[in-house]
Amino acid sequence: MLRHLPLVLKNAWRNRRRTVLTILSMGVSLMILGLMMAIYHAFYFTNTPPEQDLRLVTRNKVSLALPMPQFYGDRIRQIPGVREVEAEQWFGGVYIDNRPEHLFARLAVEPDKFFTIYPDVNIPDEQKKAFQQERSACIAGRELAQKQHWNLGDRITIEGDIFPVNLEFTLRGIFDAKDAFMNRSLYFNREYLEQSLPQARRGLVGTFTILANSPDNVPRIERAVDSQFQNSPIQTKTETQSAFGLSFLAFLGNVKLILLSVCGAVTFTILLVSANTIAMSVRERVHEVGVLKTLGYTSEAILGIILGEAVAISLVGAMLGLLMAQLMSAVVRAMPTFNDQLETLTIQPSVAVLCLGVAAMIGLASAFVPAYHASRTPIVEALRSTE
Amino acid sequence: MSETVIETRRLSKEYIRDEFHITALQDVDLEVKRGEFVALMGPSGSGKSTLLHLIAAMDVPTSGEIKVLGQDLRKLSDRAIARWRNENVGFVFQSFNLIPVLTALENVELPLKLTPLKKQERIDHAVTALKLVGLGDRLGHYPRQLSGGQEQRVAIARAIVTDPALILADEPTGNLDAASAEDILHLLARLNQEFGKTVVMVTHDPHAARFASVVHHLEKGRLLPMNGNP
Repeated sequence: MLRHLPLVLKNAWRNRRRTVLTILSMGVSLMILGLMMAIYHAFYFTNTPPEQDLRLVTRNKVSLALPMPQFYGDRIRQIPGVREVEAEQWFGGVYIDNRPEHLFARLAVEPDKFFTIYPDVNIPDEQKKAFQQERSACIAGRELAQKQHWNLGDRITIEGDIFPVNLEFTLRGIFDAKDAFMNRSLYFNREYLEQSLPQARRGLVGTFTILANSPDNVPRIERAVDSQFQNSPIQTKTETQSAFGLSFLAFLGNVKLILLSVCGAVTFTILLVSANTIAMSVRERVHEVGVLKTLGYTSEAILGIILGEAVAISLVGAMLGLLMAQLMSAVVRAMPTFNDQLETLTIQPSVAVLCLGVAAMIGLASAFVPAYHASRTPIVEALRSTE
Repeated sequence: MSETVIETRRLSKEYIRDEFHITALQDVDLEVKRGEFVALMGPSGSGKSTLLHLIAAMDVPTSGEIKVLGQDLRKLSDRAIARWRNENVGFVFQSFNLIPVLTALENVELPLKLTPLKKQERIDHAVTALKLVGLGDRLGHYPRQLSGGQEQRVAIARAIVTDPALILADEPTGNLDAASAEDILHLLARLNQEFGKTVVMVTHDPHAARFASVVHHLEKGRLLPMNGNP
């Protein structure tokens, strides 16, 4: 087949305008397909960092918006394999106003446990101590601090919306974390929030973050926590931190189905476009098929040449599409996102290979019927063809 | 006695077009000896090209027998016929039928791509064939950059590049001016006389037929009795 490659390539380039348009349409479709696959890969196949493998998150089984009793933390701590448990609370609130540049996560945490749970948070010792010792202290990720032009000692006021209190903090630490979400978040002392709330709203927790002492214990702890509260009025749902992160996607609907549907629709559409183009191209060259057969080419060789031509066009389109998808990934990475995986979105080699495979299959599938018919056309009939 | 390279017995070919039965050839008995230059003459629709297609195994007869180069073509599979044609038959069309996206050299190299020859060997053979037809200086030219006569020379080079025993030409001068036609006919005669190729040429031009050593006439699908050389 390789010795026919020059003929395959020259045939593919025969009608330049049509080939360029086909490559472009294939490229745009493969860009969408590649991007969707990259997002799918990022969401569902990205390896979690080792420290994240040890962390689990427990929340109210009914909804993330509903709290759990604080004492659940003590019960969870008694489960074998649990090294530490920390209560966390999403505070929400408004910083200055609701403009996008002032939107960031504000979380109430337990400073004495926070750095055990998140050992990957890098902060100077004196800042860590200040955060742990001062009730109204807060710390911020470096990206957030830089964006808001905060310096140590700055006073930050958050107006409550979920909670009926306004909190005023002093920035005592700026940290670096591997987790992009943490780098864009503000953390403060949960005790400060508790004491600011009316009595009736105290003692409730949004989530518990659990640190297991070994990755092997994680599945068991996951089951043990939920079974512990199975007969309680407030049941829990425990999952790994990465699974918890993905659960936010559920707010958007069935993301898996959406992504796969888009991929399917794109593939089907480009299959039709490609089939139409190849059919047109083959129809114009039935006469040449007769000539090649006269020279001794078999039907199989001719079938291979036409299929090779379709696959070559598809692969060039796919490569262009992957290049565009990589550029789009860079755009997505630069945009503010709600998901850590999108922060590092890129076209993985496995995704690229899959896209090229899909493109090759599209080429084969779209060309097979016209190529088969052309290759089987009797010589005399083919030579008579004048289209 | 010379070896018979083409032998047909009661060879017939019928087509069905819509509901009509068309008899293109009827009971044709033909014998061509090795080294002959045969002209098949006759008016349009007389079955000349059909007979040529059957000799080249490009079509299958409705009935009768046909042996070419000792091979009963009806007994070969499609794949075997393709291989046989590549090795034994060089075909020259009226309208040249070069592949427009390939250069003269690449067009001539096409039949050799089906052989076990290496790239350089294929190129050497193709260059030799093109030099033989007088186009050694047109190797990189595309068909659109050549005159009709030159295109037909490339087509002849393509037909002889595998060194076939039999050259079949279907109205090879039909699309050419008188001077180019003369050149092509001389070239075919040279291939016949110097290289011993058996040539069967379809033509309705009596001048072209004069280059042949044997002339057969067809009319309404039947081969007329021979009346000697033209």
